[in-house]
Amino acid sequence: MAAPMALCRQLLSLARASRALDACVGHYKFNAIRSRLPLSSSLHTTAVLASTTSPITVTEEPDTLFQKVSVLVKCSDHAVLDSYEFFATMAAKELGITISKVFKPPRDTERFSLLKSVHIFRKHLVQYEIRTHYRCIELSHLTGSTTRVFLEYIQRNLPEGVAMEVTKIAMEKIPDHILEPMWKDQPTDDKSSQ
Amino acid sequence: MATHRSKALLILARIHFAGLGLQGSVSRVTYATSASANPSGRQGFPKRGRKDSYGTARKFRKEAEPRAVKMPVDQDWPTVCPVAIPFRATAIPLPVRMGYPVKGDVSPEKKGNLELVKIPNFLHLTPAAIKKHCEALKPFCTQWPSALDTDAKCDQLFPIKVESRDYVFAGPSVRTPKACVIHLRVKLSSLNLDEHARKKMVKLVGERYCQDTDVLTIKTDSCPLRQQNHDYAMYLLTVLYHESWKTEAWEAQKTVADMEEYGWENSPSQKNILETLVRMKVAGQGDGEEVREQLLGRTEVQRYKDSVTRLKNEGPSESSLLQYKEAVKKILSL
Repeated sequence: MAAPMALCRQLLSLARASRALDACVGHYKFNAIRSRLPLSSSLHTTAVLASTTSPITVTEEPDTLFQKVSVLVKCSDHAVLDSYEFFATMAAKELGITISKVFKPPRDTERFSLLKSVHIFRKHLVQYEIRTHYRCIELSHLTGSTTRVFLEYIQRNLPEGVAMEVTKIAMEKIPDHILEPMWKDQPTDDKSSQ
Repeated sequence: MATHRSKALLILARIHFAGLGLQGSVSRVTYATSASANPSGRQGFPKRGRKDSYGTARKFRKEAEPRAVKMPVDQDWPTVCPVAIPFRATAIPLPVRMGYPVKGDVSPEKKGNLELVKIPNFLHLTPAAIKKHCEALKPFCTQWPSALDTDAKCDQLFPIKVESRDYVFAGPSVRTPKACVIHLRVKLSSLNLDEHARKKMVKLVGERYCQDTDVLTIKTDSCPLRQQNHDYAMYLLTVLYHESWKTEAWEAQKTVADMEEYGWENSPSQKNILETLVRMKVAGQGDGEEVREQLLGRTEVQRYKDSVTRLKNEGPSESSLLQYKEAVKKILSL
């Protein structure tokens, strides 16, 4: 038990992206990348900072480990979802992320009947429907840095009319204060805490 | 007056445009086309006040060759189209058609086709572009520790699973209260609990524990921030753990009705079977503590005890009922 723990800690403390991807330093780095390859025109136009190739900072903080990251996208048009799925799966493959499942949940249809005419003619109705198509991409065994990078890339290139829901399952160790009960050293006298 | 005049001018301009020989596109228009009338018509507009005869003196600018024709075949497409752009027929060198086919014909061409403009296109995300982007993003990614390749190892070393959700959509509000919800799942077998602590923990959490999968789920959504909810869930787990190890004074008053599992000792079933056996005079004459002790030690009685316990705990099923039947037959020597 001790050996694999040590190994994990060692591996975890290897090269890691800076946590400050969401802080200004991260913006700095992304701006540096943006100056080379603007990813999407929908970026808020912060001023492009002087793009010196700033080195990637590695912090000693342990990276979160995600056992599963599930990306569910919804749209009215299944063709758009087909293209987006191709893009997302290809991006995951290029970044070396294991894709465990890609599937198509059944579509939802919301139908309602409205009156055709503005005034009277209750017997004449017209029916509309809204179709929502889904696509789910399940990835497994990702680190926190990789997840952040992948999700930001995916979300910046989300097309119009597509919504996304990301479910992340992070793995954590049992914290130290739950390993042993704190009454263990004390005699088991009944604390009447009614 | 001004509006009438402008309307008249527009109508005339349209007719003239048609007359210039671009009838093909105009007559075939059954769909909304972008900028149908004439963008260039405005240029050739005579200024107000000038008494020019439309058309003969004024020359309309010839339509320029579309840029797509001049593009080299081996150009670097990600450089041409680095970001998401709306579809412009003259700038995209693809002979694409879209829309419901006109009767006896194919789908309309890309020129003036609004369907191609409306749908989001992925021209900026060609495989070459994706590869380029990923090459640039790779330095920010970290490797998954190779020692944690199976789920079993992950569960053994990291038993606590925290589930959180993110939402990306276009809506009227920036806030999504659903995004702050945290689900904390942990298997009780991975926590350091003894029998009493385990039973007390199960009683304390109630609905949140699933017997079949041995998973305790704590859902927190009362705090406004996700980090706060996460901390609260960990706090709840800590409190539950330490409280379940405590033994309170009133726990001694636990009755048979509070027991989680059926116990045969000192149950009506034991009393009844011993009574029956004593009456049957199985162990000879007399009735006393020693006779009962001796009866309890017999194998048939033990088997009967196992079958009754199994029936009560697991519920009636083929095999358990069979076992009970055999045990009863043995014990009553039928």
